[in-house]
Amino acid sequence: MNKDKKILLAPLDPVHDIGLKIMNRALKENGYETILLPPDYQPEEIIKSALENKVGAVLVSRTLGYGVAELLSKFIDQAEAVGLRENVKIAIGGMGIRVELAQELGYDAGFGAGTVPEQVIAFIEDREPKLDLSGAVKSKKNITDGFNYEYADKKIEALLDKIAEKTLAWASTKTSKAILRAELRRKLMDLPDGPEKDAAKQEYIQLSDEKIRNFYQNGTMPPYTRPLSDHEMSELAKYVKTTKDQMRMKKLQKVDKNPTVFIQYGTGCPFMDVAHIKLSESWGADGVVHFDPSWGARTEGFLEGYLTHEQDGTIISPENLQVIKASLEPSTLWQVRAHRGLNTPETVLLAGKIGADMTKINIAYGSLGGGTDPARLTVDAIQCMKYAKEFNMPFDVVTNEELCGVPAHKAFAGMLTTAHIAIKLGCRPVLQPLFVYSPEVMITGEMEDNYVDFNAAKIKALRSIINAPIWPGAPIGFLTQTEDRVQSSISTAMHGALASSLGVEAISIASSDEAYSGGPIAGPSRIDTLTAVKEAFRFFGSAGIKPTELADGMAAKIVAGILDTLEKAAECESFPEALYAGVYGSTAEGAYPGRGGKDSLMDK
Amino acid sequence: METCLKKVMDAVDIETFFVCKDEEEGRDLALKLLEKFGLKDTDIVFIEHSGAGARVRARGYLYRAGDQYAWLEGDK
Repeated sequence: MNKDKKILLAPLDPVHDIGLKIMNRALKENGYETILLPPDYQPEEIIKSALENKVGAVLVSRTLGYGVAELLSKFIDQAEAVGLRENVKIAIGGMGIRVELAQELGYDAGFGAGTVPEQVIAFIEDREPKLDLSGAVKSKKNITDGFNYEYADKKIEALLDKIAEKTLAWASTKTSKAILRAELRRKLMDLPDGPEKDAAKQEYIQLSDEKIRNFYQNGTMPPYTRPLSDHEMSELAKYVKTTKDQMRMKKLQKVDKNPTVFIQYGTGCPFMDVAHIKLSESWGADGVVHFDPSWGARTEGFLEGYLTHEQDGTIISPENLQVIKASLEPSTLWQVRAHRGLNTPETVLLAGKIGADMTKINIAYGSLGGGTDPARLTVDAIQCMKYAKEFNMPFDVVTNEELCGVPAHKAFAGMLTTAHIAIKLGCRPVLQPLFVYSPEVMITGEMEDNYVDFNAAKIKALRSIINAPIWPGAPIGFLTQTEDRVQSSISTAMHGALASSLGVEAISIASSDEAYSGGPIAGPSRIDTLTAVKEAFRFFGSAGIKPTELADGMAAKIVAGILDTLEKAAECESFPEALYAGVYGSTAEGAYPGRGGKDSLMDK
Repeated sequence: METCLKKVMDAVDIETFFVCKDEEEGRDLALKLLEKFGLKDTDIVFIEHSGAGARVRARGYLYRAGDQYAWLEGDK
């Protein structure tokens, strides 16, 4: 159809005409002359106008409801009877309209919810619509950019300096099997095949636990573990290629201040992980966090090969990490956790060499809630930090000991101590306070009225201490979610909105299956919360959530608690000594110094 | 396995509202419904009974981690 003929837009509806108004503007912008009728015209009046104005197309709109099909059918019959159909294109649009229904009723086209003007213009112009199917254009973000790690609270800085210096000096003469294995892993990855590499492999095996030695020497798989076949690997490669080719990514953020959104994966199987990652990327996740099995953290040494595991947590092996890395979109941030267990240095080395963007290190949580001996984890974590610096990987310092019952101020003191050691080593840590309905607040009642004040107080407290990036986790809203997916998604979205309102850099979100413990997380439950967070970002935009006046008092109390904790810790010989002594969380508070790797440190 | 089930990534959830006297009855009805759909590895993810009946989300897993996923085989 050429642009000499007018287009009639007619709401065959008593009220609604918004869609037609949008189309009217788009058509005018594209050089068409239009006639927009007001709502509530009868079919005869619309047809009369079409004939009198010798239009080239009639766009009718109608929200679908009871009896509407008959009305639409009547309109098309009348248009047919007066010969309007011969030279005039007639389309129907509106909520509930589907292409099949339009065809069934005899319309030339039907446009439902989500229609963009280009589709209608293409219909008028007898051509295929030129749609942007590329999805959101996303780029990888370094969430530590723009932070100088300067302390506003000089008292706290001085105490952290004292603890960090003592701890680095204490650790400087010590090493561990994990550190030795990490350097052997570097050789195994860098050396060509030959005697030197074989010797490194043998040494690695000797420094590993029996379970790992049995794997290498006898081919014995740990329970619930099997190798993935060549056929499966080949099918996965095809799946990843196809999915990448058709990838369209949504963008969750509405405004610049909306945080980067991470999801966590670790189904046990790298294939299912890849499937969940691709699904999450499609629905807007900006980053993904690798979860490994808990038994892996209690075992000295890593397996090798493409391995699947029937229980929670995906086995860390160089090959498993490589296959996951290869599946990621270029904009997706990838974090591999190394915050607890007996393989943390090798985890960070592997993450760095394979191309992870971030890792996770925390001495306090890994010791007090993660089951690893404080002294061992401290020495290993310092090596982790050195690798993180070598590979230019920022890392978050999580405070999950709050979930054991440790008060926020003590968990924050542990986080700041770890972060300060890292800063002294030239790293770029990210603070990770929990947005959680913790045992502490259940007892103190600080969240009795709302979930806003205490979470806001945490951010205010940290901001009053140091200029550092903040990434609430993990996941936000933990222990507020139930098995009801609507409740769970809303709770996640509200916490996401709060995090955004507080201007943090990133958040980790759960799926709507977070509280369900009867089986693995199902793919669609990830879409629930990604969609909910997107909607929350859309709802609030640049607007914010206002905490009550109580939040400032809570923040001051947290800062005072941090100061008190650090004063006590500074009196101890080192960070691990303070952890053993319960300064950063006592057994009465549910913090138990881990025993994994106890007495395993060696002199250098 | 039916092609439509092969294409399920991991699990099928069925959400509905049962007119029933209590949560236990709702749970039984939901599990029977899953069975009718040929789903075997089943569970109730969420159920809440209040007055008129029970809102329920019931799940049948097609695959768990470590299984061989038919969707990986493409359209074969």
